[in-house]
Amino acid sequence: MEKGHNITIYLLILFFASILVISTNLPVLAHKVIIFAWIEGDTVFTESKFSDGKKAINSQVLVFDRNGKQLLEGKTNNKGKFSFKIPKITDLRIVLNAAMGHKAEWKIPESEIRETMGGSENKAAGWSSQSIGVGLSKEELKELIDESLDKKLRPIVRMMNESQSKGPSVTEIIGGIGYILGLMGVAIYFKNRGKKREVNRDN
Amino acid sequence: MHISEGVLSAPVLITGAALAAAGVAVGLKKMDSDKIPQVAVLSSAFFVASLIHVPIGPSSVHLILNGINGLLLGWMCFPSILVALALQAILFQFGGITVLGVNTVTMALPGVISFYLFHRFVNQQRRLLPLAAAFTCGFLSVLFSGILVAIALVFTQESFMSVAKLIVVAHLPIMIIEGIITLFCVAFLHRVKPELLGGIYGKGS
Repeated sequence: MEKGHNITIYLLILFFASILVISTNLPVLAHKVIIFAWIEGDTVFTESKFSDGKKAINSQVLVFDRNGKQLLEGKTNNKGKFSFKIPKITDLRIVLNAAMGHKAEWKIPESEIRETMGGSENKAAGWSSQSIGVGLSKEELKELIDESLDKKLRPIVRMMNESQSKGPSVTEIIGGIGYILGLMGVAIYFKNRGKKREVNRDN
Repeated sequence: MHISEGVLSAPVLITGAALAAAGVAVGLKKMDSDKIPQVAVLSSAFFVASLIHVPIGPSSVHLILNGINGLLLGWMCFPSILVALALQAILFQFGGITVLGVNTVTMALPGVISFYLFHRFVNQQRRLLPLAAAFTCGFLSVLFSGILVAIALVFTQESFMSVAKLIVVAHLPIMIIEGIITLFCVAFLHRVKPELLGGIYGKGS
């Protein structure tokens, strides 16, 4: 009887605590740091933040090539941003070192860099510049398209960036609590089974 | 205060895992079947607490609740915190699986320490002493955790004093808030279920 009472009180506390967390619309927040990088022209832009949206300011950013050689390093500005010219056509690994043991990384594959750097001339070779009928060369046209694509895609890139940094959802929170309660059941089962065996042996 | 994956070197990770395993073993041994629900509920509280973010101070910090965990559970806060951290790592990507051991030690060891320091004061029939002990317990557990994180990070390139200072300053608001929360928990349990504060290991044992 008393034990049952104990558990009821605990469960009630837990219940109200979780209601509090979910209902106060506390932005569901976290303790994780994220770096996000994208290419525009020949420059790589990065944005760093904690998953609650707070920018990771003045944090060290390291850039490595495929073989783990450090190419350059820098610090994020007061908006959590850092940008650099592409130093080398290779797979880039961008590592953010925020303080207190927080670390994150973002990879840019070589193919992506090659494409944006205009290293794939022969891809466009199928297009003859005469057939376009405008006084633009192939390269100029490509540049224009790239430029406007960069511009048009920027909001999407930003959106992806935002969605990347979303905190845990209500489902995950409830799920986690469910796991713990399930583990509790398993633990009680095994403890009780052990006890039963002892009782049997005694008999 | 979760340390991310890939920050620490292998020896630190292995030491952390070994210490955590020892702590969990002791905790599981002390855990009777009628204590299991209590452990589970406090584990859930720890699990959820990391989502309550305190927007004060220079960095991103959240509630920890390792003080009340340790105060009520003693060594059993090791398994409690291990389970909560594992789920946080899997579901929220806080911390990580390889750093689970280190993170468990940095959170649970201060809990155990504050159990031995404050538990005897909390269950007394006086007015102010238990409350003061509870506040100090919540406050100091976070401080100890910060110091342990700094120790773990010493073996990377960061220097101890600068990291420790940074962590302590960032968590000052949390320490105060945790102190107050622990105080209210103890005050509440005093009124509703005083035997929970006294008899965690059974009376007399």
